[in-house]
Amino acid sequence: MFESKRIPLALAAAASLALTAACSDGGEGSGEPLESLTIMAPFFSAVPPEEDDPIDEALSELAGLDLSVQWVPNTDYGSKTNTVLAGDDIPDVMVIQGKDQSFVQTAEAGGFWDLTDHLASGDYPNLVTENAQVQEASSVNGKVYGVYRARDVIRTSVILRQDWLDNLGLAAPETTADLAEIARAFTEDDPDGNGQDDTYGLINPAWSGIGNGSPYDAIETWYGAGNLWRDEGGELAPAFTSDEWLQALQYERDLVSGGYVNPDYATMDPATWNEPFLNGKGGIIIDVQSRAVELAKLFKEQDPETYDRYVALVGQLDGPNGTYALPTAGYSGFLAIPRSGVQNEDQLEQVLTALNELNTTEAQNLMNHGIEGDNYSVVDGEAVFDPAKQDFTDQVTGAWAQLGTNLAGYNAYPIQQETEFDQALNQLRLDLQAEDVANAVYNPAAALVSPTYTTSGAQLDTIIADARIQYIAGQIDDAGLQAAIETWRSSGGDQVVEEMNDLYADLN
Amino acid sequence: MSTSHQRFNTRAGRAFDVLNVALLTGVGLLAILPFLYVLAGSFATELEITTRPFFLWPEEITTSSYRSILSSDVFVRAFATTVVVTFVGTLVQLGLTALMAYPLAKADLPGRRTVLALVVFTMVFSAGMIPTFLVVKDLGLLDTYWALILPMAINPFSLIIIKNFFQQLPPELEESAKIDGANELQVLRHVVLPLSKPVLATFALFYAVGIWNDYLSPLLYLSDTSKWTLQMILRQVTAAASLSADEMATDVPPPAQGIKFAVVVIATIPVLLAYPFLQKHFAKGMLIGSVKG
Amino acid sequence: MTTALAADPEPPRPRPRSRPQRLRRDAVRYRWLLLLMLPGALYFALFRFWPMYGARIAFKNYIPFLGIDGSEWVGLDHFQAFLSNPDFTRLLANTLIVAALSLFIAFPLTIVLALLLNELRLQILKRTVQTLVYIPHFLSWTVVVSITALLFAIGTGPLWTFLSDLFGTDANMLADPDWFRPLILMQMVWKDTGWGTIIFLAALAGVDQEQYEAAVIDGAGRWQRVRNITIPSIMPTIVVLLILHTGQILNTGFEQIYLMSNSLNRTVADVFDTYVYFAGIEQGAYSYSTAVGLFKALVGLVLIFGTNWLAKRFNQQGIF
Repeated sequence: MFESKRIPLALAAAASLALTAACSDGGEGSGEPLESLTIMAPFFSAVPPEEDDPIDEALSELAGLDLSVQWVPNTDYGSKTNTVLAGDDIPDVMVIQGKDQSFVQTAEAGGFWDLTDHLASGDYPNLVTENAQVQEASSVNGKVYGVYRARDVIRTSVILRQDWLDNLGLAAPETTADLAEIARAFTEDDPDGNGQDDTYGLINPAWSGIGNGSPYDAIETWYGAGNLWRDEGGELAPAFTSDEWLQALQYERDLVSGGYVNPDYATMDPATWNEPFLNGKGGIIIDVQSRAVELAKLFKEQDPETYDRYVALVGQLDGPNGTYALPTAGYSGFLAIPRSGVQNEDQLEQVLTALNELNTTEAQNLMNHGIEGDNYSVVDGEAVFDPAKQDFTDQVTGAWAQLGTNLAGYNAYPIQQETEFDQALNQLRLDLQAEDVANAVYNPAAALVSPTYTTSGAQLDTIIADARIQYIAGQIDDAGLQAAIETWRSSGGDQVVEEMNDLYADLN
Repeated sequence: MSTSHQRFNTRAGRAFDVLNVALLTGVGLLAILPFLYVLAGSFATELEITTRPFFLWPEEITTSSYRSILSSDVFVRAFATTVVVTFVGTLVQLGLTALMAYPLAKADLPGRRTVLALVVFTMVFSAGMIPTFLVVKDLGLLDTYWALILPMAINPFSLIIIKNFFQQLPPELEESAKIDGANELQVLRHVVLPLSKPVLATFALFYAVGIWNDYLSPLLYLSDTSKWTLQMILRQVTAAASLSADEMATDVPPPAQGIKFAVVVIATIPVLLAYPFLQKHFAKGMLIGSVKG
Repeated sequence: MTTALAADPEPPRPRPRSRPQRLRRDAVRYRWLLLLMLPGALYFALFRFWPMYGARIAFKNYIPFLGIDGSEWVGLDHFQAFLSNPDFTRLLANTLIVAALSLFIAFPLTIVLALLLNELRLQILKRTVQTLVYIPHFLSWTVVVSITALLFAIGTGPLWTFLSDLFGTDANMLADPDWFRPLILMQMVWKDTGWGTIIFLAALAGVDQEQYEAAVIDGAGRWQRVRNITIPSIMPTIVVLLILHTGQILNTGFEQIYLMSNSLNRTVADVFDTYVYFAGIEQGAYSYSTAVGLFKALVGLVLIFGTNWLAKRFNQQGIF
């Protein structure tokens, strides 16, 4: 195989000439006005948009700067971010997905522009938040380092098999007690009427971490345990030290010991969450509202005639201690501006002006829907997509939409729903959001970044998340649960509480 | 070659043969079944994948998963890029490894043990992602395909195994070539390498698979989307199974299972096809035959 | 460490009188070999050792934005944080058990499979099985784990049904700490045994066929031929692989374990790699993970040199 050595060598040489063609970005680092705007962003679509993408052109025109996006697969965005920060070829704008250690340290070392005053000045009307609480939550101890990407505040919901409720003559749940009763009935009263004991109530997947929207988190909030942290007379305390939290865990444990939850709740892959619901094994899912839409779509494939009989959607449930709803953080990362790319106030102004333009209604339509008249058209003020250009539409929503911040309001066309049922479901989502937001329990410490938590938060959270499941599974009792909390305290938890309270006092 | 074996096979030997055939057939099936499920799933509808637990033949065959992957120019380009980079990269990596392994196989080379100790050290300790990134950047390799080939050019593990194979070659062969006036390079080319085809084929495969499956290098070293390799395109789809809750908050539905399966098939088939070509060399590697020839 | 090694006795050879003289003589004598080694040496210098200079971030509080030199020195803080972890012994035990499973069960099975394949007479079957058994290597751990979940689904999975009848249990094997290691081993064997045989088959291809013919004439049976010819001929490969394996003893393969661990089995599932992932990589704590990497490298080196020394004592080739 090494007989003809010359050929591969020649090939390699040719390849090197052809492939080494440089790709250096115009030498920045001077204080000159920017000519282009480089943005690093994650994408979810199958393939990223190309340089000659029509959306790129249209957005560049709006922004007044030539837009050049470095697309990075979402799954590995974190690794890429850290290496990019280590190099000297840093983009002008970076999507930062969370306040992890490397971001916080970089920001505190002066690596990102502090935008607090710039955004508050009102010079950039499309970058003025419509929800100050969310903007503060996205900050690092009150300093706003990025333009946050707004998300629905209310997403938590309970999704049930409507046909099973009908078969058993049950109404949709309003309280956690109703939910327990329905879970029991779904397990014991043969909701599918096949005469066999082959169903259960609640479907819970394996979940790592705490306070990130799991079914357990939702139930705990409904019980009044708060949202990760509680303000107890001016002092911050972790939600899991409250009596309400313990009460909620007992409720969850009773569901499991009664057999009303899927037996593999500790190991089920969240990617297969829909399956038991669809296959008629389990009848209740506590998750984001959009899952109801997903499920309705799958039922439509299975049963195009009467698919509208299967999915019931309700919002927050009243707990024994009052009415509370679990909100999301309200944002998903933010667009931050590194100082090594954007070096002076003039350049910063240029970038913020461009971002302001990228947040107009026109830009929002481009980022979220695509090109009007090409892959979608507007009928009665609603966007209707061309099925023949589905791939392009998917790319737009999977990639360009990631640049959207929408923090001053989402004004793009609503999407037209296919059928009356879809329309009704969509309306129900909006109604539930409006209703639940009044009861939303926000995390009072969302803006606070404690040094100890940034270094060992993942481990600390795992201690509690594991103890929670072990308690629910009956592996540990109340004493074991308290022991786990003690471990949490001694492993750095106490320090986190102390740091959080200091920061909390500073902020308020 | 096996006629003499068969003639002298005992009854116990024949019983063993039967058992062995049965056992290995079973092992082969066990290895392939899950892959067949993936293959079947890649041709099945989303509904069937969610409702049927395990199947080897879809009720309704659809190629929509493949169409949605293959329809894009980006995919085709990435595929071609990956084939070229893998081919060139394998030659470069294998060449460099063999070149270094040969001197290290000489027991009398001064400093050999020191070099080997250093090589072993790099096997147990690598500097990590960022320091390597900085070196690649300083060498001006960012956004070139060499960044996918050179940083991993010599795998210490492969180097040591190849070196040991070279060491086991009968020294008389080299001696006689040297008496005929050959220098070391000629000995390597005309004597050692032809005798080492099985092991070289093996490591060609290892290197090729390494480049083919690598996604970290393109992720870190290539910012230019138009240069991306296949794994960069596929990674997104396969890894999305472990989306965390926070990422889900973007309301982007996870990719369909069928597409995930199709991706696995597309990424695996080319390397599977390469195997028989290399396998050929395994059988050809009989030492004596080459020596006599 | 390396200097200590270099001081080991070298094979005896004629010694010229002075050092410079010797160097020059060697350089001339070995010029071809040294020339052949040059590209490789350059590679190791550039891509393996130069980045190691960056590994000093293990002793710093590295912030990418500030650069390596701009970051503050913290001495051995990161090592201390790792070694003084209250879970250290549990992590060590779990890691070593997984490593032992791989070394003492999965690795020998690879050899057995290679030998069995080598005994197959039917060439077409031999090639087919070879190709089939190496397919699983190409499925990512994500896929392997989701197939495992399917096979062991409580109440419905075919393997769950089989094993629960066999052992009279109705536990969720995916969550049960007692089942964690058997499952991990099963996956390991399934995924990589076939792939691992490749290297042995390459070694077996090099066996002198005349030896077999001679043995047959001497009346040696099947098993005797395997024992006296086949196994000795792949022994050097086995020994080298074994030595190299021990160097990796603290690397358990993060992805598989991470994907298979959950709240109920974490006491046995947690290993160094998963721990470092949570503590380091996920948080972007590069200094910390580099420190742990250095620690593991140290252990790996000691083990490699130790087993290599042992191998030499038993008259095996070793890696040096």
